[in-house]
Amino acid sequence: MQTPINSKLGPLSYSTHSEGFDEVFAEDGAIREHWQYLFDSLNQLGIEAIDERHSKAQRILRDDGATYNVYQEAIAKSRAWFLDPVPHVIKSEDWGDIESGILERSELMNLLLQDIYGAREIIKYNLVPPELIFSHKGFLRPCHNVKLPGEHQLILHAVDMIRDEDGEMCAISDRTQAPSGAGYALENRTVMSRIFPSLFRDSHVHRLALFFRSLRSKLSELSPGVSVPRIVVLTPGAYNETYFEHAYLANYLGFTLVQGGDLTVRDGFVWMKSLEGLRKVDVILRRVDDMYCDPVELRGDSHLGVPGLLEVVRAGRVVVANPLGSGVLENPAILKYLTEIGRFFLGREPRLKSVDTFWCADPKDFDHVIDNFDDMVIKPTFRKPGTFSILVSDLDDKQKNKLKKSIKDAPHLYVAQGYMKPSQTPAWIDQGLVSRPAILRSFSVAAESSYSVMPGGLTRIGGDADTTILTNQRGSESKDTWVIASEPEKQISLRSEAASTVKEVSEHSTDLPSRVVENLFWMGRYAERAESALRLLRSVFVRLNGFEYLSEAATQTLLRSVTHLTNTYPGFTVENSDLFKSPEAELVSVVLDEQRIGGVTSSLLAMLTSAEEVKELLSADTQRVINDIGDELETLKSVFKKQLASAPEEALDPLVTALLALSGLCQESMIRGMGWRFMEIGRRFERALQTISLLRATMVPVLNETDEMILLESVLFSVEALITYRRRYRTDMNVASAIDLVMLDETNPRSLIYQLTRLEEHLSVLPKVETMQRLSEKEKLVLEAKTSLQLSDLQRFTQTESDAGIRENLDQALVRIQRLLIEGAGKVSEKYFDHADGPQLLVKSGWEL
Amino acid sequence: MIKYEIKHTTTYEYGDNVSQCHNLVYLLPRDTRHQRCINMTVSVNPMPVHSQRREDYFGNQTFYFSVEKPHRSLTVISRSKVEVEEVRPTLNLDFGVTCEQALKLMADDRSEATLLAREFILNSPMVAANEALHEYATPFFAADKPLLSSVRELTTQIYKDFTYDPEFTSVATPLSEVLEHRRGVCQDFAHLAIGCLRSMGFPARYVSGYIETLPAPGQEKLVGSDATHAWVAVYSPGEGWFEFDPTNDKLAEEQHITTAWGRDYSDVSPLKGVIFGGGDQQSLSVAVDVNRITL
Repeated sequence: MQTPINSKLGPLSYSTHSEGFDEVFAEDGAIREHWQYLFDSLNQLGIEAIDERHSKAQRILRDDGATYNVYQEAIAKSRAWFLDPVPHVIKSEDWGDIESGILERSELMNLLLQDIYGAREIIKYNLVPPELIFSHKGFLRPCHNVKLPGEHQLILHAVDMIRDEDGEMCAISDRTQAPSGAGYALENRTVMSRIFPSLFRDSHVHRLALFFRSLRSKLSELSPGVSVPRIVVLTPGAYNETYFEHAYLANYLGFTLVQGGDLTVRDGFVWMKSLEGLRKVDVILRRVDDMYCDPVELRGDSHLGVPGLLEVVRAGRVVVANPLGSGVLENPAILKYLTEIGRFFLGREPRLKSVDTFWCADPKDFDHVIDNFDDMVIKPTFRKPGTFSILVSDLDDKQKNKLKKSIKDAPHLYVAQGYMKPSQTPAWIDQGLVSRPAILRSFSVAAESSYSVMPGGLTRIGGDADTTILTNQRGSESKDTWVIASEPEKQISLRSEAASTVKEVSEHSTDLPSRVVENLFWMGRYAERAESALRLLRSVFVRLNGFEYLSEAATQTLLRSVTHLTNTYPGFTVENSDLFKSPEAELVSVVLDEQRIGGVTSSLLAMLTSAEEVKELLSADTQRVINDIGDELETLKSVFKKQLASAPEEALDPLVTALLALSGLCQESMIRGMGWRFMEIGRRFERALQTISLLRATMVPVLNETDEMILLESVLFSVEALITYRRRYRTDMNVASAIDLVMLDETNPRSLIYQLTRLEEHLSVLPKVETMQRLSEKEKLVLEAKTSLQLSDLQRFTQTESDAGIRENLDQALVRIQRLLIEGAGKVSEKYFDHADGPQLLVKSGWEL
Repeated sequence: MIKYEIKHTTTYEYGDNVSQCHNLVYLLPRDTRHQRCINMTVSVNPMPVHSQRREDYFGNQTFYFSVEKPHRSLTVISRSKVEVEEVRPTLNLDFGVTCEQALKLMADDRSEATLLAREFILNSPMVAANEALHEYATPFFAADKPLLSSVRELTTQIYKDFTYDPEFTSVATPLSEVLEHRRGVCQDFAHLAIGCLRSMGFPARYVSGYIETLPAPGQEKLVGSDATHAWVAVYSPGEGWFEFDPTNDKLAEEQHITTAWGRDYSDVSPLKGVIFGGGDQQSLSVAVDVNRITL
């Protein structure tokens, strides 16, 4: 049915779907009042403007690095987060009911959690079959009697809800482990308020900031005693599907983002390994599933956790939220008994109703499920990657039988829920409003004696009007959820908050885990490595395709320099005349082959991986440049793969430009903290080492004068010194002045001496432990390299004493500096990066807990 | 009352330095209906920076410790004194709840003991019910036969069918292999009996502990010659838990000293943990002494 939404105001129409509750239209066909203002505004904007803002939204999301990674795909393929530009609107009065329902449900779940790991009265009084708890993998026996301080055990709770056909909200599942989505909701809100500033302002939308403020003050309160708590967000790492959110929330809340390996248990406490040594951690907001958090007492095969964590939690010396063991509440079979559990703990039935749930371990339920198989949604009782909710009617007969058999074999692992048609909400698709099924995830956080509920939450919509099951793992779009207040709300934001907790928390925010610093160091090194390879390749392509005659000797030296610089041996170092006659294939492989360590693609991918690991420290602009580098790399592949472009050097230009933009941004926009220093140190070491390789490959061999001129020109071009050289010397090329410019000129930011001077500066301000000595070992190494360079005699460098055809003095000097620098970089790594052996199990077990 | 003194020494030698370790041990006897632990100590070398004794989910005694200085070897010595009831009410296995009644009661009985016992019918990390186990056990559990005498017969049959062979299995050997090759050690036979009982729908748990061994007549007992032991307990609704030792074809009595119980070995393994470093090589040695004493 096509319904014009307001013919007077504009061109938009909205085709609704006949099934399910309609969010927009009442039964009489009239628009529900709370949608009217939004529709009027959209109509006024018109199709093109909405489209344009939609693109802008996607652009902002991309620049913010907002992704949702899909299991088993590489980082490079992480999926962009999709935001529909039309918000899901809920009116304040409706929301009041929903909110109090969620609040009560959170309280109930809290009491249930307390009971499961305490008295277990629900079992002893026969409220639920014992198997409901005992057979669930999320029931972690080592967590028995482990309690958080205060009256809350459940800190964060999320509820997935859909509206039934009468418009009543109905819970279909709970998330109590490490609920995801709150950060995405916040990002959606941020983007919406940017693309529709006036619409957003005038719609009186309930703000989200209060929820996050509650979260932060709750976590601070939980801290075991000290006045300034150190709070960290524990993430499984960049490969996790919601890593963006972990980084985003850590930033927003002012907490440090850590991985299991960044933490260690010593002396009965949890510590973060930082540059300045170990720092005590008070509260851990965990995004790692509980059974992976401690290989000593929980899953022994986990590398995501912190050995010994549970014992520290038990002693009350660190708080983990949500508490370990809380995953047991995610068992959807609990919904079957929730009414009874509500009566038992609260003395009444829960207000927010749950979808009809059947647990296949119950013989009656089992029969019912099999008899009404086609009407059921089947869910695993224990969620893990690769398990989904399945609508039986979506399956063919063969699949149905297979599913039936799985259920028969292990009935306690499955629940069935009566299929509910989700309500339909408008979405912006192909320049028009069309209806899509919607599911809402709402969030609550423990606050004072109850819970605080995020107004709205994360709405997800199906890919088409008939999508039956909505999950991010299978791709769905998201929406901002607007709870429309009858009057404007007071503005609250975390940042303008006057409370002293903000200042206190941020005291720790300069802490960086060693892993982060290490990744910044490598990000700098890889960026530099890729750049110098690209520059050299560019000048080699120019030369090979140039009109000037190039002797065989010069060609070979030039090509060999590519192999030496990129470390892609054997490459051009073998005697093979065919290879030198048509070097293109090898050159392309150095550019494109991911497997060739040191090649352009390999270095760039390594750089992108490091960048992903430190995502939370990168500004939006930096993120954009990082995205560009990824894109340019893809473009380059397609250009090169089709055929070697007519001017391949030009195909490399955009990447060089993007890398320059990155280094420029880091110079101009990064706070001069330790993170920036380490990235710089990485860059300087790498640039110095690359320059040495280039000089050894090109200037050490003695060629005839013409060839040497040509080589010099290529080298100077690749280190961006050609123009300077010409202006300064105005003469023909000569080796001595070229060496002077590339090695010894303090004013040339690409010269060797310049790198050493910068290194000296950076190293001198790193945290020191060796208090007795004025200079650390690495500083001495760099100083020695620099001194040997300064004391060197330029004339000696150009001489050649034997018949070997090389400049021995130059070579020896370069080799010496190279050795000192490699050793120096090693010392930096040894001192500041984490080299602890990984944990291993004392007894390797063959069973899975 | 018989009084025992037990000394249990565990030593790990590592190929390389271990910078730190976190360990959880089940080496201290718990109190049971038939035994009482009079005193217990654990000593660890090198000295742990943190250690804690507590009771676990199943009511067992656990000891947690972490060592944080580099070490090449780790020694854990637990010493305890335990009183065990000498005379127990004679258990007449030929009366009592029949298999059929037991199954019905397991489903219908709402007493706390029975509800909680249902945890032990479920599969556990190392023991899962299956067809083969069910087939092996079925002949012993006739509907009208008393449950406990059925269990006794099952354990006797295991004793007859299976060869005690410490070379054949390790802690990680799956039950299916034990069943196929009919070889194993006390731990395997306990798991086997548990698997059979669960396959028939009866709650069964794993009991770890020690058994007093006596030297051959005229010989002196060798120091360190005793060993840890394991057997099985079954729950009969309305009657409680009863222990059987399939390795020795007997009921667990005054020579059996209980350390801990759980769903299977993985709940109560004597020493587990995580080490940092240590290289690829490590060796383990265990020495146990169980001696009767007079206080």
